[in-house]
Amino acid sequence: MTQDTRAQEFVESFERLRAEVEKVIVGHREIIDHVLIGMFAGGHVLLEGVPGLGKTLLIKTLAEGLELSFSRIQFTPDLMPADIIGTNIIVEDADGRKHFQFQQGPIFAHILLADEINRATPKTQSALLEGMQEAAVTVGGVSRPLPAPFFVLATQNPIEMEGTYPLPEAQLDRFLFKLRVRYPAIEELNTIIDRTTQARAVNVEQVMSGARVMAFRELIREVPIADHVRALASTIIMATHPLWQQAPEATRRFVRYGASPRGAQALVLGAKVRALTEGRFNVSIDDLRALATPALRHRIILNFEGEAEGIDTDTLIAQIVGSAEAVTAQGKEAFVR
Amino acid sequence: MANSDTLERLVRRVSAQVRRRRVEHYALRGAFWGSIVAVVVLVLKAPLAGWALWLAAGAVAIGTLAGALWGGLKRTSTADAARLADRAWGLQDRVATVMEWANRPERTPLVESLVADTLARIERLEPRAAARRVVPRDGRFLPVPLAVAVLLALAPAIPVPSGRLPDFSAGAGEEQTEQRPGSTMLDDRARPATKDRLKSPVFEEKDFAARAGGTGAAMSGDLSAIFKDTSLSAQRPDFQSFLKKGDERLKLLEQADRLPDLQSDFTTSQYRMMFKKSKALSGGMRPDQISPQKLKELLEEMERLGRKGGSTWQGDASEGMEALEGGQPDRAMEAMQRALDKMRAQEEASRSGKNLKGGRESSRGGNSRDKRGGGGEGSGPDDQDFGEGEGLLPGKGRSNSPKGEATQRLRGNPYDVGVEGESRRGRKEGYDTNLTGKAGQMGSRLQYLGVIGQYRKMMEDAIARESVPRDFHTQIKDYFQALDER
Repeated sequence: MTQDTRAQEFVESFERLRAEVEKVIVGHREIIDHVLIGMFAGGHVLLEGVPGLGKTLLIKTLAEGLELSFSRIQFTPDLMPADIIGTNIIVEDADGRKHFQFQQGPIFAHILLADEINRATPKTQSALLEGMQEAAVTVGGVSRPLPAPFFVLATQNPIEMEGTYPLPEAQLDRFLFKLRVRYPAIEELNTIIDRTTQARAVNVEQVMSGARVMAFRELIREVPIADHVRALASTIIMATHPLWQQAPEATRRFVRYGASPRGAQALVLGAKVRALTEGRFNVSIDDLRALATPALRHRIILNFEGEAEGIDTDTLIAQIVGSAEAVTAQGKEAFVR
Repeated sequence: MANSDTLERLVRRVSAQVRRRRVEHYALRGAFWGSIVAVVVLVLKAPLAGWALWLAAGAVAIGTLAGALWGGLKRTSTADAARLADRAWGLQDRVATVMEWANRPERTPLVESLVADTLARIERLEPRAAARRVVPRDGRFLPVPLAVAVLLALAPAIPVPSGRLPDFSAGAGEEQTEQRPGSTMLDDRARPATKDRLKSPVFEEKDFAARAGGTGAAMSGDLSAIFKDTSLSAQRPDFQSFLKKGDERLKLLEQADRLPDLQSDFTTSQYRMMFKKSKALSGGMRPDQISPQKLKELLEEMERLGRKGGSTWQGDASEGMEALEGGQPDRAMEAMQRALDKMRAQEEASRSGKNLKGGRESSRGGNSRDKRGGGGEGSGPDDQDFGEGEGLLPGKGRSNSPKGEATQRLRGNPYDVGVEGESRRGRKEGYDTNLTGKAGQMGSRLQYLGVIGQYRKMMEDAIARESVPRDFHTQIKDYFQALDER
């Protein structure tokens, strides 16, 4: 099978999977695309939005469209790390001898839905850290690999802050994208009402296996990126740091910490997936522009002035990208001068 | 690469377009600056005569040619041309990526697909300009200097002014005066000149010569000749006396701290005002005849002045208020008198080091004796309260206030309050203070341990409810922890 054919197959699979999800989820095309891009890039995705917008439903539908195991954990303040990872329990064999046996937790699944992740204590949240980064968990000194592909989709509610524990920066950085689920438009709301209040069952078909997902992940890493596009990605990341000499004024005023190198990886990997989904074999500057916001919005930490002024991270990122393009001489008249 | 020719042709085409645009761009800039030079040349048309037009035209032509040459010689890199082609035809960075990756040893199999896709798209491209024309900012204003140059070329030559100064010599002035006879006003103006003429011209010439070290002959254009006919001309300059006066003024300025404080004039002092008001209030009446409302206003004013800091009479004013509220006007009057005495003492202390009238030192000198005699300068009805020792230090005045050492007086008045303190050791070092006197024995209306718990709860609520930055949580909690440990 040629690369061209594989790429074509990827585009078709991507579109079929999106169509299956859209059987249930109305609107949110960009959110669905970004979730799928995150999955094929091999990252984890955090969805933020008020209750009732279909975050959990989207993830459940996606799991139904894939031939993959699925677990859901409802995070609560009394949830313990062992409730996620699993624990050693004493079992008795046929000879009557007792020994410890590892009882797997819900993390041992291909797709893990961490619902309302910010309701659990930081100790429990951090139980996910190793699994998200290493695709393995260590219990009782034994490291146990998680099934591949392993994909964490977490949701959190931004307004109901009573009794919540904001995710630590280290854990936020492990999410490839942070997506903000917004309220649907009135036409979409009408469709939601029609779909959900009529006696008509929606059947979501399984369109992709885990092995194919892994094969596509390898294909995506082969997408070439030009030097000037890569340089722009690096410049965007550097422009989020207030101490960088060429950082824009907005960054210097409102940002305490900028994005880590993981941010650059997320940006470029996501851009590669996006390029392939559009039938392109190379990364373009448009891909970086489109994915800079979801890849960086949780990696930029505002300072006190930024918090006090109510600075929106998305607006800030748009300014940072514009400034980075100016720094890398991507201006319209750069060549003539 | 098999199909690299297609890509290279595209890149060459774009490079040629960029070069053409650069030639236009820099030629316009060169023409602008050349026309500026042409304008300058045409302004100087008179001395340059027939050469001016040729020089101006040459400047414009040379500027244009130099700019075009500069633009044409600038190189365009292949990568830049490829990026420009991507942008011009919406190729999404395909050409630039192919130019970079086609010959790399680590190229992935997808690169072949990329090359094929890019070539197919290039074949379908419609020929059009990849680099758009960019008019430079100075090029936009090119018509202005060009129009000015044409106008100057058509207009007659501008006369160039000569560099000589007008002749201010006396002879010339006389000639002008003689040319305007018949005017009485001119006659009046000319009269002082006639008077000056009586002075010996020889003597004046000698003075100027001695000062300037010159020959004394007034040359044409010599500005010093202007002063010859004035009254100053007869005086010898005395720089030594001028410097001496300057030194004296500087010394005076160095002693600024001994100068009178004109801003806080004694006639507007707090004590003076309060004394006048109290006199106007009492007017020889008994305490029971005085309006309690007016007395209260006066005491409030004194208390307000006392709150500004560094005052000693605030307690007396407060005591007077309490007495007035308790229906004891005589005690209130006494308290007011004590407060007035303290105000006066403080006023004297603050003015004593400034040699000001009314200061303690001056009041003890000869001037005070003059005042007592009633014939001294500045003595009047307003100064009658400045008798020696009256209301000054304890034991010298006629006040009914407790007298003696300050500590004794403090204890003698049950309403006086003192503050004693001791340093506190522990996790948080600090300084604890306790009230003494009668107020110190009274219990606080708010129990400390009671309110600090409430405040702590309010703080927790505020942190949870409001968007306080996370870094400030610890600082805020530490602060309340420190309060709790007291």
